[in-house]
Amino acid sequence: MLKVENASVFYAARDGQSVHALDRVSLEIPPQGLVVALGSSGCGKSTLLHAMAGFLPLSQGTITLDGAPVQAPGAERGVVFQKDSLLPWKSVLDNVALGLKFAGVPRQERALRAHALLRLVGLQDFAAAAPYELSGGMRQPHALARALATDPKILLMDEPFGALDSLTREHMQALLVTVWERTRKQIFFITHSIEEALFLGTQVLVMSPRPGRIVARFEVDFVHRFAAERDARAIKTLPAFTELREEIRALVHQAEDRELAQV
Amino acid sequence: MSDLAADRAAPVPSGDGTTGALPEDPAAIPRRVTMRRFGVGEGSTAAISVFTGMVLLGLWWCVARTGWVSHLFLPTPAEVLTQAYSIWQDGYANATLWEHVSASLTRILSAAAIAIALGIPLGLLMGQNRWAKGVLDTPIEFYWPLPPLAYLPLMIIWLGIGEASKITVLALAMFAPIVLSAQAGVRALPRERVHAALSLGATRWQLFAEVVLPSALPEILTGVRLALGVGWGTLVAAELIAANRGIGFLIMSASHFLATDAVFVGIGLIALCAFGFSGAMRLLEAWLVPWKGHS
Repeated sequence: MLKVENASVFYAARDGQSVHALDRVSLEIPPQGLVVALGSSGCGKSTLLHAMAGFLPLSQGTITLDGAPVQAPGAERGVVFQKDSLLPWKSVLDNVALGLKFAGVPRQERALRAHALLRLVGLQDFAAAAPYELSGGMRQPHALARALATDPKILLMDEPFGALDSLTREHMQALLVTVWERTRKQIFFITHSIEEALFLGTQVLVMSPRPGRIVARFEVDFVHRFAAERDARAIKTLPAFTELREEIRALVHQAEDRELAQV
Repeated sequence: MSDLAADRAAPVPSGDGTTGALPEDPAAIPRRVTMRRFGVGEGSTAAISVFTGMVLLGLWWCVARTGWVSHLFLPTPAEVLTQAYSIWQDGYANATLWEHVSASLTRILSAAAIAIALGIPLGLLMGQNRWAKGVLDTPIEFYWPLPPLAYLPLMIIWLGIGEASKITVLALAMFAPIVLSAQAGVRALPRERVHAALSLGATRWQLFAEVVLPSALPEILTGVRLALGVGWGTLVAAELIAANRGIGFLIMSASHFLATDAVFVGIGLIALCAFGFSGAMRLLEAWLVPWKGHS
């Protein structure tokens, strides 16, 4: 279980001032939980993820994974970035196998396990291609496969589908649910789409900006229903779904208005 | 749209399954188009270049032949070729053609080897370590803008008139672009690439070998290419001043006797060598960094 307690971040700004990016955030990602942080840009959700990944130290508070403090990046926390950061000089297969190479897994086994992951995300026919030959909709599954290769305890996903068109995005959501079901990983997922948050999350954290804080939490369960029925449209048109969506939308707007009133 | 297609397709017997059959009238074949663009675009310029070369050669021949310019200053292309052949057969200024060329090549290649062997590791280190950058920046920033010929006399005083002084000057001239480009290559490394590798469990060494070095490679190769350009310029100048072998020396001694045709031969040799080097660099880039420009 990943646990964030009272995490605050003050960035050092250029003019010597500090920017309060994250304000006393606490959360828990339970085993097999898919926790989604939802908020507009500037609400500190990426800052939170960077701290969980170990890219950014906290100003205050603690982050622990199964009791051990998080201090630096490590293979037990896999990260999928907003923009894929694949290595263009390695093939699709070798990119997926990169983490295994770092771990000292022998070449043959590396290739075998990377192939299995490419099959999982539907890229088995592109193993020998260069990453830049993949279309936008294939790059994120590729990055997902790479993050899964080291078998991390948790996946941290930083708005991975934000740049995709809406049709591709729905495919990715379905793929993510499949992967989540099969691998039973804890996932922390960031998005600015209310619908995506509700559809994917077992828990939705609504965040408000400057300083970033959690203003509401919802325990939801549409993702299990989707896992069972595989009918995204039916779920997204359920009255329970649309009502909750509107409730959260009102909440997000309220948070924005409050911020505008402060300025 | 479908109405139009039906109208056009009317004379063609229907029912063969082909849709939108093109009318026979050649004027109706649609014009192929490409997006309007700015600049040179992708069309090949090879034919234009060859044509320009031939025009220039023709112009040279005309000017030399008609005698507008004295023969002493401008030999005809044929005379230059004859002179080239005779240098190839009999050598020039107490050395064979191969001895001249190999003297120059040996100098530039040994200097390049030294500059690359020192420049790449030091540049990579400067990109990653504050102390290395702080210490090395001062001497490099000081000597790098100096014209190499300004410190050649100093090197001759210190190291003698032999090969050591020339190779040192050349290596110094080539070192700067290589070290600076290797450093720039490291600094241009996207932060996300580093983060991604670290969260895949890379150690410091693995990060360097698998991410930092390959990321910097395109910049390093650009630096080597620049260095070779600087190297040729410095080499010929150094040979003009102090040498008894080499292409630069050949040109210099020919000019003492107003042997303009031999001067032309020397210039042509340098052009050929430099062209060969840049071709080799292009092959090296295509082989080592085929992914350049992609991310």
